[in-house]
Amino acid sequence: MIGERPLGLVLLEMILLVLLGPLVTGIIQKIKARLQCRQGAGVVQPYRDLTKLLRKGTVQADTASAFFRFIPVLVLAATVAAGALVPVIRAGPPAVPLGDALLLLGLLALARFLTAIGALDAGGAFGGMGASREMTIAPLVEPVLMMVVFSTAIAAGTTELGALAAHHGTSSIVAWRAADFLGLAAMLLLLPAETGRIPVDNPDTHLELTMLHEGMLLEHSGPGLGCMVLASHMRQIVTLGLVAALFFPAGPADAAGAADLLLGAGVFAAKILVLATYLALVESSYAKLRLFRVPQYLGVGFVCALTALALRIL
Amino acid sequence: MDVDSGPSLMAACYGAGALSSLLLARWSGRFALAVGHLAALAGAVAGVGVSLGVLLGVPGRTLTQPLPVFFPFARLSLSVDGLSAYFLFVISLVAIAAAIYGPAYLRAHSPDAGSARQAAQGFALNVFLGCMAFVCCAGDALTFLFCWEGMTLASYVLVVSDDRDGENARAGLLYMVMAHGGTALLLVAFLALAERSGAFDFAALRMAAGDLDPATRTTLFFLALGGFAVKAGVVPLHVWLPRAHPAAPSHVSALMSGVMLKVAIYGILRFAFDLLAPVAGPLPFSWGWTVLFVGTTSAVLGVLYALQQHDLKRLLAFHSVENIGIILIGVGLAMILWRQEGADGALATLALTAALLHTVNHAAFKGLLFLGAGSVLCRTHVRDMEKLGGLARRMPWTAGLFLLGAIAISALPPLNGFVSEWLTFQALLGGASRFHGPAGLVVVFSAAMLALTGGLAAACFAKAFGVTFLGRPRTSHAEHATEAPPSMIAGMMWLGALCVALGVAPGYAVRLLDAPTAGLLQGPGASAVVTARGPLVLSTALTPTGTAISMTMVAGLLIALAAIAWVLRRGLQPDKWRVVPTWTCGMKPTARFDYTATAFAKPLRLVFAALYHPRREVTRETAGTPYVVQRIHYAGEIVDLAETQIYHRVTREISAFSQAIRARSTGRIYGYIGFVLGALFVALLLFGVRHP
Amino acid sequence: MVHTIIDDLGALLLFTMILIVAAGQIYRAIYAVAAQSLLIAIAGGVLARATGNVDLWVIAGVTLVVKATLLPWVLHWVVKRMNVRREVEPVIPVAATLALAVVIVVVSFQLSASLGPVRQAITGNALPVGITLTLTGVLVMATRKTALTQMVGLFASENGIFFTAMAVTRGMPLIIEIGVILDVILAALVMTIMVLRVRSTVDADIADLDRLKG
Repeated sequence: MIGERPLGLVLLEMILLVLLGPLVTGIIQKIKARLQCRQGAGVVQPYRDLTKLLRKGTVQADTASAFFRFIPVLVLAATVAAGALVPVIRAGPPAVPLGDALLLLGLLALARFLTAIGALDAGGAFGGMGASREMTIAPLVEPVLMMVVFSTAIAAGTTELGALAAHHGTSSIVAWRAADFLGLAAMLLLLPAETGRIPVDNPDTHLELTMLHEGMLLEHSGPGLGCMVLASHMRQIVTLGLVAALFFPAGPADAAGAADLLLGAGVFAAKILVLATYLALVESSYAKLRLFRVPQYLGVGFVCALTALALRIL
Repeated sequence: MDVDSGPSLMAACYGAGALSSLLLARWSGRFALAVGHLAALAGAVAGVGVSLGVLLGVPGRTLTQPLPVFFPFARLSLSVDGLSAYFLFVISLVAIAAAIYGPAYLRAHSPDAGSARQAAQGFALNVFLGCMAFVCCAGDALTFLFCWEGMTLASYVLVVSDDRDGENARAGLLYMVMAHGGTALLLVAFLALAERSGAFDFAALRMAAGDLDPATRTTLFFLALGGFAVKAGVVPLHVWLPRAHPAAPSHVSALMSGVMLKVAIYGILRFAFDLLAPVAGPLPFSWGWTVLFVGTTSAVLGVLYALQQHDLKRLLAFHSVENIGIILIGVGLAMILWRQEGADGALATLALTAALLHTVNHAAFKGLLFLGAGSVLCRTHVRDMEKLGGLARRMPWTAGLFLLGAIAISALPPLNGFVSEWLTFQALLGGASRFHGPAGLVVVFSAAMLALTGGLAAACFAKAFGVTFLGRPRTSHAEHATEAPPSMIAGMMWLGALCVALGVAPGYAVRLLDAPTAGLLQGPGASAVVTARGPLVLSTALTPTGTAISMTMVAGLLIALAAIAWVLRRGLQPDKWRVVPTWTCGMKPTARFDYTATAFAKPLRLVFAALYHPRREVTRETAGTPYVVQRIHYAGEIVDLAETQIYHRVTREISAFSQAIRARSTGRIYGYIGFVLGALFVALLLFGVRHP
Repeated sequence: MVHTIIDDLGALLLFTMILIVAAGQIYRAIYAVAAQSLLIAIAGGVLARATGNVDLWVIAGVTLVVKATLLPWVLHWVVKRMNVRREVEPVIPVAATLALAVVIVVVSFQLSASLGPVRQAITGNALPVGITLTLTGVLVMATRKTALTQMVGLFASENGIFFTAMAVTRGMPLIIEIGVILDVILAALVMTIMVLRVRSTVDADIADLDRLKG
């Protein structure tokens, strides 16, 4: 269906996500710090880190092949392209065919694959270990995500995120069907796995015992590392935006004026803030799971998603 | 030259290739090989011409051509309709690449091969390609079966043509036995139909099948399904695949994996929708659900076993099992959704389009991957990826093209694997919305398993590409590798360009699917369902809202963003660039520091241990006290469960039975004459007395 | 309106059921079953309000006091006092138990679909959810070794029976409800005494009782 969100708005939303991504990480870090009874760095610290990285030079391993220089570029491009698919300000399908949930998952998977390739490129054990663990968790997350997307898509008959958001309507939680609770539970269990946070991964460390995602970034430096870090910020806000579009699609569906757009942006920011607080609380309350317990953890999410589907279909 | 003379041209090219390989080998093996492959290339181009002529020509037109009369009891003919033309197209595309790639590969891989062997390889390749093409063009059962058998025999010759150790001979033997088992099932199915109709051509068979009772119809379908499933490599009939495909020369492996398996899919489609379909009403319940179940199982088990392989070609062979499973998911869905009451046929067309598009996509990227593995093999003479490494710096073109194939097979945008998986997911979503109750849940579970296989395939190829091409070379074989010869690169680039084209602009390929889908399902053509909004946008107009993606737009967006990111990556100080050894905690980095393939796949082996039953053996050699360990020996093994549980038991039973019979063999001639008399007597009683 | 709330509560009950099956530590299972009993009490209250049945108010109150507060507290006390192992010991792997739970969900939905006329308009999804809870409680009892988790399974099963009863008959007669609750309290008392006595005399756990067979 050809919708009303014009291409300009879609690109504007994408740029907005890129700009806000590091801010979300900063907020989560700040909340975690306050919960640990310390001041913590400022909320805009990720921006300072990124600019610092852009000013530095690059150090590359001698065994890296010609692909290594392109990996940060492609990973950042894939993640930002995924950001173009998330409805931010307005619900409703976009005017151009850029809004499919499966395409979003595919682009995030492309980014992950390329990161793993880059990690193996420089040789050494850290990259290999991080890549191996990340590629173990990733295939187990995909079926659960697919079931959650399907459970919302079956009712609407489409996998287009904007159309799903519009179908849900702007009503409150009372109008939720029972299956949505379980779908949301499954999605909330998946969020730490997708964004690389405790209890699946520890984003604050580079020790080989506890890292999945961070291990793949070890060999990058300077602006390349800046691109990869920006890509992981972007991935986080895109995933949060996906949860918001699937489960909390409150927002004006046919906004045109500037005031409506601002309202839509504000509502989106509020939803992201709530989810970011959830992530920070989960990170501060639980310990990281052993790697081989993560499939069990994801299995609970799978059963929740399957039950949600059963409630919808049966 | 019009389309009608196309098949004769194809036959002439392949025949000329076969004969010239045999005749010219006397003078120069290399020349014979080159001429043979050139003729195969010409035949493949002719095949492309014929198929495009039928696919893009007058809609609904079937190209029929009677063949010269060989037998008094049957008339042979060719009949090329939309479905046949499409599969002929797929065959010819990969054949072009294989023919370009072949001569240089055979020269580089076995430079000391005798002229007899080279003659055999050229001859067999032409016979193989010709028979495959004519299986798809066959218009009657006899032509089909002859060409099917010729295909099997020619590929057997190619599989055992390179016999370094006895391994290839054993692989070939297993392949022959299983292929003939499948052919036997096919024979029964065809002959049962032919007996009812009195003639062998497809039109007569179709008419005879029209008034079968449902039980017989289903039995015949499952016989045919069994026969084709052996050739397609469906779990649990796949055990020959991981042995036979790696044994053949790499361009032949590409053909076997990319194309021969598809001919079996063609057979299943032909039987289910054309020959055995009831005149009106949907297909019987068990057909579609069995195919869907079998497809899902093959997909998951194929990729799980592929993950644990370290032999490059064996890994790729298991991935073929996985992708055939994905195609069968689409086929099964189409069988379930066809002619259901209240539906307008769009959903079945969508499922069939997804399956057929995955056919050509898999042929393209699997062919590319096998050719890439072949160029690695011919330069390093090592298939085990644990002995490779660092090849990306030494063989950049091969590495780049292999990476392209790896991204395509992992179903990642913007390449072609993603397109067909997206269409399959949309078909599954449509199917799930239609069915309520456990059927819908099964469809959704299939979708979840499909997502799982996509993720596992990405993991597997991260391992395969990373361990083979990246890092440091682990042995001297890998260290001294050089780039492959240009003609091999050219063959790979043809398939790589195909992958990119099918990924970025799939709408044009969907146009080619109009004739097969409309002809087979008698419903809306593929273009009407999938590219209703123009060839650059894939849309499924199943509901008023529908979903649409545009691969072209995604590719354009990615390129634009990559350009911006490139500027960002240069940073503010692009001249400060240092190259230093990899940090390995202060030690001098060697190849031993790099992650091995076994280590990469180990977490997944532990997660899926219930399915793998891995065998693990650790022995320690100590000196003196148990605290001084001199050496630790680790051996791990994953056996294919189908092999151990099913096949070994069956072979044990057969051997025991044969031993028992052997004891009875007297060795005297009158005993044997007595057996013959007894058999004759029984046959007379059974068949003679029945009709007085 | 009412049946939407019952549907939502049914979804939350299924979520607590998944938590009980997947619990790795005994405390989590106890808290999950307490939450489940709380939800049952809320459901009883909602239905009581909708139908005006006074018995349901009593049931809801008794469930709240006994099953949501008292019995979990007793179990918690036993765990703390006896220094029981905190880990839940499954007989088959947790993943297999989860798979069986999914099968139970599907089967119970199919079953209730074929029992069509029994479903009342007011309670919607409650029948299949109730059957699921009952069967899953029995599954937990069958696949866990320690007595305490078996108790948790019993409580969950009993919650399921209550929910089914509410779905089908809008509440059983009061006397039966009280009887069932008394049975559960009695079972909890017996189990507690057995665990304490067995522990203190023999210094072994219930699961080891099978050594006594001849």
